[in-house]
Amino acid sequence: MVGLSLGEQHFIQGGIAQDLRCDGRKRLTYRPIYVETGIIPQANGSARVRIGATDVIASVKAELGKPSFMQPDKGKVLIHIDCSSTAEPAFEGRGGEELSSELSTALQRCLLGAKSGAGAGIDRSSLVVVEGKICWDLYIDGLVVSSDGNLLDALSAAIKAALSNTGIPSVKVTAGASSDEQPEVDISDEEFLQFDTSGVPVIVTLTKIGRHYIVDATPEEESQMNSAVSISINRKGHICGITKRGGAGLDPSVVLDMVSVAKYVSEQLMNKLDSEIASAEAEDGS
Amino acid sequence: MRGIQLQLSQTQKVRLQKALEQLESLSSKVNSDASVTIADSIPVNHEDGVLKGHGTTDLNGEVVATLCGVVERVNKLVYVRSLRSRYKPEVGDIVIGRVVEVAQKRWRLDINYSQNAYLMLSAMNMPDGVQRRRTALDELNMRCIFEEMDVICAEVRGFQHDGLHLQARSQKYGKLSTGQLLTVPPYLVKRQKQHFHHLEQYGIDLIIGCNGFIWVGEHVEARDDMVEDQVNQTDPQVLIPNKDSVSFEEQEKNYTALETRKYICRAANAVRVLSSLGFIITLEIIKGVFELSLSSNLDIHDMLGSEFCVLVAEKEAERRSSNKKKR
Repeated sequence: MVGLSLGEQHFIQGGIAQDLRCDGRKRLTYRPIYVETGIIPQANGSARVRIGATDVIASVKAELGKPSFMQPDKGKVLIHIDCSSTAEPAFEGRGGEELSSELSTALQRCLLGAKSGAGAGIDRSSLVVVEGKICWDLYIDGLVVSSDGNLLDALSAAIKAALSNTGIPSVKVTAGASSDEQPEVDISDEEFLQFDTSGVPVIVTLTKIGRHYIVDATPEEESQMNSAVSISINRKGHICGITKRGGAGLDPSVVLDMVSVAKYVSEQLMNKLDSEIASAEAEDGS
Repeated sequence: MRGIQLQLSQTQKVRLQKALEQLESLSSKVNSDASVTIADSIPVNHEDGVLKGHGTTDLNGEVVATLCGVVERVNKLVYVRSLRSRYKPEVGDIVIGRVVEVAQKRWRLDINYSQNAYLMLSAMNMPDGVQRRRTALDELNMRCIFEEMDVICAEVRGFQHDGLHLQARSQKYGKLSTGQLLTVPPYLVKRQKQHFHHLEQYGIDLIIGCNGFIWVGEHVEARDDMVEDQVNQTDPQVLIPNKDSVSFEEQEKNYTALETRKYICRAANAVRVLSSLGFIITLEIIKGVFELSLSSNLDIHDMLGSEFCVLVAEKEAERRSSNKKKR
């Protein structure tokens, strides 16, 4: 937790009111985003995203499993976030659990959609190999290495980058198995299927301080917030999920305004992120 | 390239490498054997006897460094002064600290040292400027002077039996209110004649604390003591620190002027660039970076980008080599 004196708090609030924040940014400017992909060789896909001193790693691991009885035509996706105690002394032991579960819930809500899983950011029906028998389970793990504000946006960017880095091995099902037996499969070592990430949304967190709201808040700014709304938006400009933090209430008109601002910001963020991912992939491949 | 957290293009990488190499070649060769890394053996004369100090160990009869740093020798004692570490106070240093606790007759301050420092109520000038005994009432009113989390500038007084003590016996010390506090590694700040700077043309104050805390803020005129107090001296009473409950409109009137704020942010970003590159931080260098950004007409935020970083490194190499030629 950052402690600030009254004078500093006032200075930060004044800066946001005057559209010039402490590091010279405008209210709707992000810090530079750096993306690296393929940093964990054992994983099917991985990425590291840095925004300022915020440093997060996401990895995607695919395993063959059995689809659930309720949804035989869908694979499973599990998202888990871990806050390393190197990020903040307060995360030591079980201290980071509250934040981890908050972050993973928000990401699940934004990426996986409702129970039926229709139209979600991650298309779970593409993970099925044999309906009702075999599917891919995706384990998406995020690790917060260093925390300097705006964790949720960084994590969503890292997961997006990791998913676009993911190659799922192509599977041949040995024919001839009868319908009630578990079919035998042959996993290829060479052929990989690229995961389709066009529908994966980015998350834009708008932090409301005073009368204005800002994107990409630093911890100092986050300590001054009344409330923060995280809006996940996909490439089409559709909203996939909204999460609100902080106790202060918001007027519905403000929420609507925030949504339209977030949509505008997300376009820039999405383009920036895509070009960063592409250049990271190019570097990784070479 | 000590893990500079930047995404550089290929040409920028080459340029930065070149600038850093130039800087390295400029550093004096005389002292090069004084700097050691971990597991370097330190040459000592065993006949005179050696006292192994901090950062050294004995390995097969040899004295070996366990830290990266500079070897210091005092008579028989050999120790390594580490580069990246917490601040180590020296008497007379000007430091900036944050109040952790208001205790009996003293404030406890965080100054980036391994212990907290103490500022005694008796070791500071009262805001009214009168020299007198501190009464019990003054003790009760301590929160009116400094509260928890306040940023304070003071001078290191020395070690007493119960820890490190600070003093603030002049009007230039005291609470810092409108501005921002930056933290840099303390080894980047060297002790100088002057740590308080007022950049008149920009109307900002710059205080470079020896402990690596740097304050950039709006300029405040040092109040002349002894003048105001006689007039509005009221009966002694216990005061309650006023938590501001002013309305938005009223607050907005008190905000720093945009022009000044721009300069504050620019100066702060100049310090951030220097600290990320690991260059010594002095007023001249900060001013140099500041003016470089102004003359290249850069947005304040773009100062943290990789292009400007490379530019600063090149300028610094140029400056140091021209300094060297002059000598």
